[in-house]
Amino acid sequence: MTAAVTTIRRADQHRTPPAPAFPIEVEHLTKRYGRREAVRDLSFTARPGRVTGFLGPNGAGKSTTMKVVLDLASADEGGAKIGGCRYRDLPDPSATVGALLESNAFHPGRSGRHHLQILADVDGIDRQRVDDVLALVGLDDAGDRRVGGYSLGMRQRLGFAGALLGDPPVLILDEPANGLDPKGIHEMRDLLRARAAAGHTVLVSSHLLGEVELLADDVIVVNRGRLVTSGRLVDLQEAATRVRCSDPARLSQVLTDWGAGVDSQGAVLIVRGMAIDEIGERAFGSGIVIRELSSHTSSLEERFLRWTNIAEEVSAS
Amino acid sequence: MTWTRLLRSELRKLTTTKMPWAFFAVLATMAAINASAVIWGTDFDGSKTFISTAADQRSLVAFAANALMIGGLFGAIAVAREYSHGTVIPTFLSSPRRHRAVLAQFAAIAIGGAIIGFVGAALTVLAIAAALPTTEFSFLISIAGVAQVCSAAAYAGAAGSVVGAGIGAVVRNTGGAVTGAVLALVVAPPMIVQLVKDASSWVPGPLATALSGVSAEAAEVESQASVVAAIVALALWALVPALVGLLSVERRDVA
Repeated sequence: MTAAVTTIRRADQHRTPPAPAFPIEVEHLTKRYGRREAVRDLSFTARPGRVTGFLGPNGAGKSTTMKVVLDLASADEGGAKIGGCRYRDLPDPSATVGALLESNAFHPGRSGRHHLQILADVDGIDRQRVDDVLALVGLDDAGDRRVGGYSLGMRQRLGFAGALLGDPPVLILDEPANGLDPKGIHEMRDLLRARAAAGHTVLVSSHLLGEVELLADDVIVVNRGRLVTSGRLVDLQEAATRVRCSDPARLSQVLTDWGAGVDSQGAVLIVRGMAIDEIGERAFGSGIVIRELSSHTSSLEERFLRWTNIAEEVSAS
Repeated sequence: MTWTRLLRSELRKLTTTKMPWAFFAVLATMAAINASAVIWGTDFDGSKTFISTAADQRSLVAFAANALMIGGLFGAIAVAREYSHGTVIPTFLSSPRRHRAVLAQFAAIAIGGAIIGFVGAALTVLAIAAALPTTEFSFLISIAGVAQVCSAAAYAGAAGSVVGAGIGAVVRNTGGAVTGAVLALVVAPPMIVQLVKDASSWVPGPLATALSGVSAEAAEVESQASVVAAIVALALWALVPALVGLLSVERRDVA
C-alpha cells in the first residue's frame, strides 16, 4: 500500500491545484434518543490541513456526532456544517466528503469490487478509479472475492477504499484502525498524514490512543456527549518530571507543600507545576537522595483517562 | 448526480448478489410443479377437464397473483437487507436528499419484480406447453393470450415488489419485512373482503387474475374489475406502502 500511496500522492501533485478548504464545524449540537441525551451542546471545529482525533469512551457520542455531520441523523438543537454548508446542501457530497462509519456495512454475498462499483455508479466515477483504490488499500487481489470471506481488516480496508473513491478533500472516519494489522495501521497513518499535508480535512475517531497520538495534530475529547477538551495535541501535552528518590512519601509531602502536583506511582513520583531544578533543590534541602530526575510527558492515554475522569466528576457533582 | 446514475447503482445492487437466482430457482420449481400437475393431475372424477378449454388453460398459466406475492417478498427482502447490512449508508451519503435514492431503489426493485413476474409466467407457459402433449389436449391459448398473461405477471410482479419495498423501508428488518409483505398481500385482503364485501374484486389477488384475462367463470368469482381498472387499482395498492416507506426513510435517522 505504501508504494501505491506514494504514486497517488505524486499523481495528485500533478493534476490538482491546492484543495479548497472544507472545515468541519459543529455548533451547539444536541442529539437525543428518547429521553437519553447522546450529545449535549457540543461545539468544535476540525480544520483543513490537520488530522483531528475525535476521542471519547464508548457511548461518548462520537458516532452520533459523525452521523449528524453527515446528515444520517438529525440534530435536536444546533448542527454541523462542512465548508459552510450542511452536508445535504453540498453540491457534490460524495466528491467532497469520504466517510467510513461502520466496518461491516457490506453485503456479504457481494464482491469488494462490485461494492465499490455500486458507489462509483452513483457518482459517475470510472472503473479505473475502482481498480486504483483497491490497489491503494491492498485489496487488488481480493477485489473479486465475496466480502463475506474477508477478514475484519480487509473489510476495514474496503470501507476505507469507499471513502477514498471520490478523492474527497474531507475524510470522516469512525475507528478506521479497527482490525488492521500493524502494517495496515502504519500505511493508513501515512495516507491520512499525506492527505492532511495536501490541505485536506481529516476527522478520525478512535479508541486506539497510542495511534491517535502518532496521527493527530488536534484532538477533541468528548465524554457522555459533552466536550471535555479540545486543541492542538502539543498544547495539551503537560510537562512533568519523573522522580525516583530514597524517600518518595516524604518528598511527595515536601513538594506538595511547595505547591507542586504530585502523582505517586509506587517508588516513582510524577511531579507537575514545578521546574526540574526546583525539585532537585527542594529534595536536597530536605536531605532526600535523588536517584532519577528526568522530564516526563504523559501519554495521551494518561491524559485521556484524567480528562474523562474529571468530566465524570463534574457530571456527578 | 443524476437520477439515472442512482438507478444504475440500484440495479447493480440487485444483480451482484445471488438473491435473483434464488427467486429464479423458485420460479423454475413452480413451473415444474405446474407441468407435473398437467401430466399427472386429474379432477375429482379422474378426468383432465381442468385443462380442456383455452379458458381453463389460461386460468392455469395465469401467474400474476403468484407474481404479486413473489414480487412482494423480493421487494421486502431487497430493501430490508439494505438496512440490516448497512449498505444503505453509502447510498444516503451519495444522495443525502434521500427521496431521490429511495425512488431510484423502488424503481429498480419494480424492474426486478417485473422481470421476475414475466419470467415466472413465461416458464409456466413453457412448462405447461411442454407437458400438454402427454395428455389428450393441445395448447389452446392464443399468442395474444400468452402475451396478456406474461404482461399481467410482469405488472403484478412490479406492483408486488413496490408493496414489499415500501414495507421493507418501514420495517427495516428482513424477517419483519417478509412477514409484513405476507400480511399485506395474503392475510389482509380476505379480512378486508370480510369487512367490506364489495371490495372482493378490488383486492390484489382478484385484480391480478382480472389483469391476466382469466374469465370470472374460470376464476370462480361473481364480478371482476376491467383490465384498466385492475391496472389502476394495483398501482394504488403499491403506492400506499411506497409512500409510507418514503416518508419513513425521509424522517428517520439511519441507525
